[in-house]
Amino acid sequence: MSKSLLQLKIVNRLHVLRAEQRITQEQLAKEVGVTRATIIAIEGGGYNPSLELAFRIARYFKTDIHTIFSVEEEVQ
Amino acid sequence: MKRVDSILLKVFLCGIPVIAVLAGLSYLYGAGAVSHHAGFGRLMNNFMGLVFALWMVLSMYLCVRLVVSGPFRDQVIAKITFIRERDEREAILTGKAAKTAMLTSLALLILLFCLSCFHVSIYKVPPENAVNGKTGFITLGLGFDLLKNGEQDRPKERIQKQDIFSYRGLPVSGTTVILVLIVWQIVAYNYSMRRLMR
Repeated sequence: MSKSLLQLKIVNRLHVLRAEQRITQEQLAKEVGVTRATIIAIEGGGYNPSLELAFRIARYFKTDIHTIFSVEEEVQ
Repeated sequence: MKRVDSILLKVFLCGIPVIAVLAGLSYLYGAGAVSHHAGFGRLMNNFMGLVFALWMVLSMYLCVRLVVSGPFRDQVIAKITFIRERDEREAILTGKAAKTAMLTSLALLILLFCLSCFHVSIYKVPPENAVNGKTGFITLGLGFDLLKNGEQDRPKERIQKQDIFSYRGLPVSGTTVILVLIVWQIVAYNYSMRRLMR
């Protein structure tokens, strides 16, 4: 891999959206078909969801995927 | 086939207590002790023998099924190793833990291979057999026998020597090594899975 390759950091507003709609992690997990641990990992930035899961979360909140997930560029 | 395998697996698991009792009895009274008795004792001995024979055949069949059948392997080994793949994240973590377990097992296998091949011997010879006035020796060797009885073919040494330290391969049986590897695989997988889940 090239040294100048950008390392992309994906950030999300999942906990904000969840708080706005007063949904628990458990409820969200059940609705999108994952475990609560996965929701915790996504919110904490420890796990980047697959495209399929990202779209499922976006569909659940009836919003665009970019509203929840965005990219912060970082040079490694 | 899945249903048959499931039934056979249950029969195999139910047979384990019977085998344990059989092993306990033969340990306590000796393997042939019951067979000399007449009547009920002998009948029981014959029945237990039949159960043991069937259990052995069943265990071989199930082992082969584990190797060749993917769904059966997933069903059984997943339970033994406590693999949980409830969502995509756990599937990724399972893969990472399996990789760690596989690589550490390979490293252990290489270590065991080296330990089984290396020969080290430290010894002293009588003064009349001294080489350049030296009576202490260290010999290093590499033993690689494809067959078990390779050790017997070695020529007997003519010089009388006093061994101080001698290491000629692993002092444990093949069965122990295999058991260690099975336990290692399960422990390595579970340890790395728990670490990744944090």
